[in-house]
Amino acid sequence: MIKTYASRFWSLLKSFQVTIVMLALLMCLVLLCTLAQVEMGTAGAVNAYMRSFIVWGDFSLVPFRVPIFPGGALVGLILACNLMAKTLDMKRTWAKAGMWLVHLGLIILFAGEFVAGMMQVDTNLSIEVGQTVNYVSSYKTMELALVDVTDPAYDDVHSIPESLLSKNRPIPVPGTPVTLSVKKFFPNAELANLPAGQTSLATAGVGPGVQVVERPTATADGEVNQVSAFVEVLAGGRSLGVWLVSNALGAPQGFVHEGRAYTLSMRLLRQYLPYAFTLKQFRHDVYPGTDIPKNFSSLVQVVNPSRKESREVLIFMNQPLRYEGKTFYQASFGKNDTLSVLSVVENPGWLLPYVSCVLVSLGLLVHFTIVLRRSLKRRQEKLEG
Amino acid sequence: MNFTKHLAWIAGGLALLLAITFALPPGKARGFDVAGYGNLPILEGGRVKPLDSVARNALLVIHSRQGFRHEGRNIGPDEWVLDLMYRPQVADAQQIFVIDDLEVLGLIGAKQTKNRNYFSFTELGPHLDEIQKQAANAQAVTPQKRTRFQSAIANLFDRVFLYYRLRNTLQLAGSPGLGWELQSLGGADAAPRHADLTQLAHFRILPPLAGAPPEAWQSIGQALTAAGTGGALHPGLIPMAKLNAAYVANNPAAFNAALAEMKTLVNGLKPDALGHANREVVYNRAQPFFAGMIIFLAAFLAVCVSWVWKPELLRPTAFGLLFAGTIVQTLGLFFRIILQGRPPVTNLYSSAVFVGWGIVVLGLIIEKMYRNGFGTATASLFGFASLIVAQHLGESGDTMEMMRAVLDSNFWLATHVVTITIGYSGTFLAGAIAIAYALRKHIITVPDPETDRALSDMAFGIICFALFFSFVGTVLGGIWADQSWGRFWGWDPKENGALLIVLWNAIILHARLAGYVRDRGIMVMAIFGNVITALSWFGVNMLGVGLHSYGFMDQAFWALLGFCSSQLVLMGICWAPSRFWEPRPGARA
Repeated sequence: MIKTYASRFWSLLKSFQVTIVMLALLMCLVLLCTLAQVEMGTAGAVNAYMRSFIVWGDFSLVPFRVPIFPGGALVGLILACNLMAKTLDMKRTWAKAGMWLVHLGLIILFAGEFVAGMMQVDTNLSIEVGQTVNYVSSYKTMELALVDVTDPAYDDVHSIPESLLSKNRPIPVPGTPVTLSVKKFFPNAELANLPAGQTSLATAGVGPGVQVVERPTATADGEVNQVSAFVEVLAGGRSLGVWLVSNALGAPQGFVHEGRAYTLSMRLLRQYLPYAFTLKQFRHDVYPGTDIPKNFSSLVQVVNPSRKESREVLIFMNQPLRYEGKTFYQASFGKNDTLSVLSVVENPGWLLPYVSCVLVSLGLLVHFTIVLRRSLKRRQEKLEG
Repeated sequence: MNFTKHLAWIAGGLALLLAITFALPPGKARGFDVAGYGNLPILEGGRVKPLDSVARNALLVIHSRQGFRHEGRNIGPDEWVLDLMYRPQVADAQQIFVIDDLEVLGLIGAKQTKNRNYFSFTELGPHLDEIQKQAANAQAVTPQKRTRFQSAIANLFDRVFLYYRLRNTLQLAGSPGLGWELQSLGGADAAPRHADLTQLAHFRILPPLAGAPPEAWQSIGQALTAAGTGGALHPGLIPMAKLNAAYVANNPAAFNAALAEMKTLVNGLKPDALGHANREVVYNRAQPFFAGMIIFLAAFLAVCVSWVWKPELLRPTAFGLLFAGTIVQTLGLFFRIILQGRPPVTNLYSSAVFVGWGIVVLGLIIEKMYRNGFGTATASLFGFASLIVAQHLGESGDTMEMMRAVLDSNFWLATHVVTITIGYSGTFLAGAIAIAYALRKHIITVPDPETDRALSDMAFGIICFALFFSFVGTVLGGIWADQSWGRFWGWDPKENGALLIVLWNAIILHARLAGYVRDRGIMVMAIFGNVITALSWFGVNMLGVGLHSYGFMDQAFWALLGFCSSQLVLMGICWAPSRFWEPRPGARA
């Protein structure tokens, strides 16, 4: 009994029905995802349609979310299983050699996309000419940075991630006498001057003069939330005051406790690197007499003490720098061509699509050559017979 | 037998001869060597090109054609631009501005009397302030969100502004000319005039001086400013002033002599520029893709007639014409590659040309293999259609514009872009064969399993071909994206479009392999391939999102919609059983 179910399941798994239905579903998903990008932005649409197991829909008639379509992850998974079942089931003859290669390549391609979806980290590195930067920043995620700046030669940085702030719990900062207590947290807010007659939760820093209005969180590409919070600083059993922190505020705010100076600021989440980049030159060339960009390039000095390395690298369009598992691309610029923005990608599976491309192309060539030879032979026989 | 073979060669040869006559230089206009003037190299849009290219593209943008009739004479682009720059009073009276939009016509107080309405600059004059005001409002809106009126008025403003800039490139319109400017260099209000000329100049005509960087071409205004502020006089200003004076004085002999002087000077300063400009002028005049379009149409008509009349004579003739058209188109592509120094596909326009080229080459191959006329018919029709599409895409100006920084990679343009475009060609050709199959099934009621079989083999083979190229092209695109943006696949609309083609071709092949569809099913699916390819080729550009949306266009939406619906209808026709059209047994006659 179990055996029949198992064999039935197996024959379903390796069937062409599943292949075709899944390919058709994937086509629908790709189409829906493309159309949704107009409203939701690329990242939002990809998360909703391609990187999810179920596509959910909101309807005003029912109070809960309704599953409306299988998501890209589910379809991809079934398709990958189907592909593997099919590959195992294929006759191991030379005539099928091309198909073997193609399907092996496709499995690697799926694996590559899966690895990218799970493990790829996108950050960026903004650097001004002459500046030295040893960290990359997130595009959207914030952190609350508490920095001990007492020693002018050395900063002691403590980072509290955005997700922890939203939990409204006292947060003791290890290695310091400070405990932070979040009074109120805004995932996105708009700041303005506080109108006369209103009071703020803040008691210290610039906060008392600022009005904070909650806003819906941003979804479109390139939009950044203005994450804001009222944070009470507790140290030595007493309150030092309530500060307003927000990435919309400019300079960090400071306080002094027991002779040590601290700064407090909400900023994009940083990842510090064991090496540093110094921007020596940024070029933005245009075609003569036009505004059409011809080239962007950043000449960077890479200094890595652990490798005893210090060298110059030119990063330009279509020519990224691959270094210590990260890849640095020329992405953007600003501040009258004195600021260069490099996008930084860390994807352990970046090589897989290259392998896949070679295998599938080779496989298709082999297979179609075999098919063509067979059909030419048949024609020849027909002509002779 | 021999005669039929010769006829094919003769037809092809005649077609080639016709194409060559296009490239011959025109005669002098009123004694002036206007074609020679059009050969002068200038710098515009970031590259050195002949003045003829600027004139043609400007006239195409303003007038939608490369020439017009005025007072009983045909006026070409070179003569028009000369009048515009030196005798604006003549050009201003020529009715060249096309205005189709009813609301814009209402705005300038004109009723639409004919199918198309043409206006001269003088006629538009009283309304320029209003046009500018309305266009400023429209330009504040992003192009995708403009209403029809806003698009039309912004477009009219752009055309008027282009005209105005050309009018003030070599001399300020209404001023006595360059000779007078040179005499009054130190004059009281000379400096602001030179500044105006510099700012309005549409192109730079004076080649860089010896020792200056190679891209340091100067406009007349720049050279006058330099001379007026104590710098050396650019030697090109003298022959330019002579040309100006001779044209205004209606003295062809002096004009032609000054032109020779200018050419000698250009040759001394920039030895290769004149030769390069000459080659481009030959390409401009030859209009190889227009000639190819006509030849493909002739081939299609010949093959259609061959099905009812003298097939053994006309089918080889059609093949000969298709072959000649392919040669013309191949030469045109080669010319573009040489002129641009780039692989064949660099923008939407050239992708249409290249898709057409892929289709006709594939069509030639399958016609050679099967010899039943279907290869010729489908390839010539779709080659013709793709060149019409290209013709429309080319109306927006220079088709050899410079590549933006991210696209500036000949390696990836040659591999990814070319491969994926061949994939488009294959999918379209398979769709075309399927359409031929469907129509044939209904028109010819006598069963002919032999031809059915051949057509289905053709379609299947081409789908395999298209799958290979679209898959490889898509993955190569992913690798390019990994090289330049840091991700292999980002679900960008253009990437998704390419993926849809791959998926659809894969579905067709698997459905056939599993036996779910037979001949007719494959044909229906192949026609749907046309819809998917058209959407991913043009549709994604209309969404206006993503990193690939540099090929934006707003006019073609209805054309695309029409094409897709026609394909759906054809799918229905293909799906309808052929006996639907046959007289049913027992029915009354």
